[in-house]
Amino acid sequence: MILYLQMLFTFFKIGLFSFGGGYAILAMIQHEVVINRAWLSSAEFFDIVAISQMTPGPIAINAATFIGYHKAGLVGGVFCTLGVILPSLIVMTLITVSYLKLKDKPWFRAIFKYLRPLSIGLIASAGIMAGRDAIVDVFSVGVFVLAFVLSWRLKINPFYMLLGAGVIGYFFG
Amino acid sequence: MLLRLFLVFLKIGAFTIGGAYAMIPLIRKEVVQKHKWLSDEDFLDGLAAAQSCPGPIAINISIYTGYRIGKSRGLLVSVLGTLLPSLIVILFIAAFFDRFSGLEAVRRIFHALKPAVVALIAVPVIQMSQSGGISRYTFWLPLLALILIAWLSINPIYLILLTICGAVVYALIMQRGQKRGRS
Repeated sequence: MILYLQMLFTFFKIGLFSFGGGYAILAMIQHEVVINRAWLSSAEFFDIVAISQMTPGPIAINAATFIGYHKAGLVGGVFCTLGVILPSLIVMTLITVSYLKLKDKPWFRAIFKYLRPLSIGLIASAGIMAGRDAIVDVFSVGVFVLAFVLSWRLKINPFYMLLGAGVIGYFFG
Repeated sequence: MLLRLFLVFLKIGAFTIGGAYAMIPLIRKEVVQKHKWLSDEDFLDGLAAAQSCPGPIAINISIYTGYRIGKSRGLLVSVLGTLLPSLIVILFIAAFFDRFSGLEAVRRIFHALKPAVVALIAVPVIQMSQSGGISRYTFWLPLLALILIAWLSINPIYLILLTICGAVVYALIMQRGQKRGRS
């Protein structure tokens, strides 16, 4: 029971402090779950990130459900998912009701003017930490460069990109 | 109506792969163009709010759309619709993953998937920087955050709280300065 509550609390914190969607949430998960709680190894975390990208639905929800299940079964999966959406349910509902009033307040606009660039730094740091773990030899450098060019320049759908990477890995990895 | 709302979000949750940015155009198509539940302006306002709020963007936009269409019951069914496909598919995969993760072939596949995931994280950083997230006055902020988080292992939560406090104080000081300037 204590583990379930810890999961709920940890993922609540993750949901509450991640601004900018999926990738910011992944960066927070990495910090809280891998570094602070040590529920997962860094390698396991990136396996889960890859799977979350390739399955339907919001990436953050997929990752939260997977981590919860991996650590504590079905109930764990439900608790982590609940934890990560509870802040949304509270904050987004309040904002939905009052957004039109808030959006012209200077202090409200200032918060997001500075939070957005901060989120970019946060996501970049997740990329750096992932890179330390994933880009280790000539093969992985090649895959990284190819994947980067394909998704940046050709805006290829992440699912097909990862599918292609998986096939390459199966034959040449 | 609630049932239709649920089915629309269930469909979007089940058939979009790659997160919120894949889902948004579909939600817009269903909610604004097909069912005409919201005007395009209302939807874009909601989208702006969903992107500024903490949490998953897809969940935030479901909360907004659901609430605007059917108050709290609408909110509940649209969030459930978005969540359920994720939950079911992931629980199914997670149940089998431990058994497969030790296989040689699976290791080889992930050897290539991992650097590809790094690329997937790197691309939105560039896109977000280009799409107006960073200006001449704020470019130091992501750089500083990057160094503090990636190399000094500072908890991002402190940086976020500090940024929120700093922004509010700065805005209030500017506001007072403007008032004094006018009077």
